[in-house]
Amino acid sequence: MAKIIQESIDLKPESISKKDITIAWLRWYYANEIPHSFDRYLAASLMWGLMPILKKLYKKKSDLAEAYQRHLLFFNTQLTWGGGTISGIMASLESIRASEVHQEKSISIDDDLIYNTKAGLMGALAGIGDAIDSGTVQYIFIAIALPWAQQGLAIGALFPFIAFVLYQLFVGYYFAQLGFRLGRNAATEVVGNKMQMIIEGLSILGLFMMGILAASYIKVSSILKFNLSGKDFIVQEILDKILPGFLPLLVVMGLYYYFAKKGLKVTRALVGLTIILGVWATIEYLLVEYLKVIS
Amino acid sequence: MQDMHVTVLQATIIAIWVALIMSRGLGGATLTLRFSPMMTGLIVGVVFNDIPHAMITTAAIQLIYMGVFSPGGQMPSEPAIATAVAVPVAVLGKMDPTAAVAVAVPVGLLGSYLYQLRFFLNTMIMKLTEKYAAEGNSHGLTLSIIVLPFIAGIVLFFPFMFAALYFGAPFIADIIKSNAGGLAFHILNVIGGGLAAVGIALTIYVIGKKSYIIFFLLAYFTAVVAKPLNITMVTYAILGAIIAFIFVLAKNEAANAVAKNTNTNSNNSGQADDDY
Repeated sequence: MAKIIQESIDLKPESISKKDITIAWLRWYYANEIPHSFDRYLAASLMWGLMPILKKLYKKKSDLAEAYQRHLLFFNTQLTWGGGTISGIMASLESIRASEVHQEKSISIDDDLIYNTKAGLMGALAGIGDAIDSGTVQYIFIAIALPWAQQGLAIGALFPFIAFVLYQLFVGYYFAQLGFRLGRNAATEVVGNKMQMIIEGLSILGLFMMGILAASYIKVSSILKFNLSGKDFIVQEILDKILPGFLPLLVVMGLYYYFAKKGLKVTRALVGLTIILGVWATIEYLLVEYLKVIS
Repeated sequence: MQDMHVTVLQATIIAIWVALIMSRGLGGATLTLRFSPMMTGLIVGVVFNDIPHAMITTAAIQLIYMGVFSPGGQMPSEPAIATAVAVPVAVLGKMDPTAAVAVAVPVGLLGSYLYQLRFFLNTMIMKLTEKYAAEGNSHGLTLSIIVLPFIAGIVLFFPFMFAALYFGAPFIADIIKSNAGGLAFHILNVIGGGLAAVGIALTIYVIGKKSYIIFFLLAYFTAVVAKPLNITMVTYAILGAIIAFIFVLAKNEAANAVAKNTNTNSNNSGQADDDY
């Protein structure tokens, strides 16, 4: 009897602290896309992140091996919003399961529940996270620093890098702790009303910054000049009198409608625009040379 | 003065840097290093001892990669690889930044095929991960999840980058320099200046609802009109944040007003939103 009790104490899952969650988050942050594969995507990264927690929870080697295998099924999400939240939730679910296993109760947190929670959240959170982190916040930092880079200053590279890394570490930490606290209910919080407002505000700010960038940095102009009966006509000056910045806007809007119609065919847009601009530049250049010769 | 020449040391340092990024060996921080050419441009500037020229060129390359990130892990072109080749070409050939952009695009496309090959190698290493997981072997898992994929990435990207820099960059710079001025240069400049529009259009498409394009237009014409005032990006960012805040606030107030009118008899319905 004493031996059985002692064994039960040895196999008792340790409790999971805030610090354990932080470590799991940092491990996932580091491993993020290192083992990226075609068949499992980022599953191994999340599993490697959770490893210290799983070791604390499952003292029996066969239980631990099962837990490792449980987290190797296909998984793909975004680094902070998805990965942060889901690593927190997984730690919470696994600690409930581990105590059920230890007390030999029936397991309410079964393999299906764990996988379905991951599968349900990974897509939605990846969509939100990609749009906010990589698509908006990153480019707001870059937009702010771009003029410095254009002046040849190193801070133009350092500022967006450092700011974005700090942002991601902080946001991911917040979501990992949140995920652990809320466990199963985390999803509703992240896709809740307040978050939607923040997302909307950020997307407006992002669009606004793109407008500033477009006006400042897209350089499409005409070099055409005519000389009609002794009078110079410079095409670009005439365009500027009608609507300043018309040509760059035309190019951006044209591309936007191309993406809206044909989907995100970025490579094709790059190649297509290169050809169009190349042909246009050639014609304009030859025309200007020709007009020089005949006048 | 070493013209049209990349030393073994220069090629090695830049190739190691790019291999670290593409193998994701620097952890989550490599996300922004891979999507944005900025830090790679700075490293190239340090290695070639010409930070100002490198940064100016990188800024031009950044513009075409605005908005490029990889939903689902697929990238059409690799900015870090493109920059690591195009910036040395620009620095060696004393080229205009916009002309360097035209060099960056094809190199970046090649790089994206290599990144796909990395997934393939990782898929094979995955078999080992499965085996260690079944054994509950924690040290084995660290080996197969972190160490081996990292080594595979380095072995894949280092030789490619070294060759592209040591042999490729001086060759391209040579060709472009011999055609300096004239039609070829004009074409490269026009293309380079216009391609920035791809990144910006992509960002608009990805981040905004269709009806919110009005905010893009507002900013566009504000910037066109205010160009002589030399307003900084930080000022514009603050202005944009205020406008975004006003809009969200107004929209929320309107939604609350509607909710109050329709649910006058159930007065606990609006509570859930503002208690955290």
